[in-house]
Amino acid sequence: MRALVIDDSRAMRHIVADILGGLGFATVQAGNGREALDLLEAGERFDVACIDWNMPVTNGLEFLTAVRARSEWRDLTLIMVTTEGEVGQIVRALAAGAHEYVIKPFTPDAIASKLELLGLLRVRETT
Amino acid sequence: MSLSAVSTAQVTEIAAEVFESMVDGQPGLLTAWPGGPASVVSPLHAWVDLDTEPAGRVHLTIEAAVADDLARALLELEATEPVAEADVVDAFGEIANICSGNIKGLLPEHVELRLPEVSPQSPSGVGAVRLLEVMLAWRGHPLVITVWTV
Repeated sequence: MRALVIDDSRAMRHIVADILGGLGFATVQAGNGREALDLLEAGERFDVACIDWNMPVTNGLEFLTAVRARSEWRDLTLIMVTTEGEVGQIVRALAAGAHEYVIKPFTPDAIASKLELLGLLRVRETT
Repeated sequence: MSLSAVSTAQVTEIAAEVFESMVDGQPGLLTAWPGGPASVVSPLHAWVDLDTEPAGRVHLTIEAAVADDLARALLELEATEPVAEADVVDAFGEIANICSGNIKGLLPEHVELRLPEVSPQSPSGVGAVRLLEVMLAWRGHPLVITVWTV
């Protein structure tokens, strides 16, 4: 499985990539939505993208909209990972094509649970 | 509810959750300041402006050397490893961003969050009104969070 981590914060990209790496994903990072679109347009393919909302150049919502406008990218699973926790913003992102939503701050389990829900991670046994 | 209705308890709870989840991986390393004046001799400031009416600002202040440790914690670097200035700015700005976003989430209306700014200089205070101040200690060092209208 390949994951694209999109966030303008290097620290946050490190944290998300580290979590995904620990779950068995190979990760690639992009500093904003435009960089992520460049990767997709260059032919890179990913199973899931974790997307920050507030970024310079091209923000997360603009990235979502651009991805959903391209039929060849329809298999890409999109998870917003953002501080935007208002219900209205969550609805806005889901309406624009996000599959799931994680609010910062988050724990590694929160990311893993979303991936399980989306069928991208085998359900972990709980004790 | 406006920014003026945000309480110190709410800000403290948000900061504790941010540090527990994103920085320390465990509770208890961000605590209430034990009392007395908190002296920040060589500060680093991070702030995020909110498009509230009037405009708002969430402002974090920490000792610059402690901001280095904060970046090391976020990037999982050893205590003795050098950390780039850009990474310190990025890490402290992201902590301010997450705190601000969660404070914004307390408001009933949607407001836009600006991108974080980080500087050794405090942001312009002309006409600014401080709504609250929260004094905390991260690993024993002062962390001050203030909320303003600007």
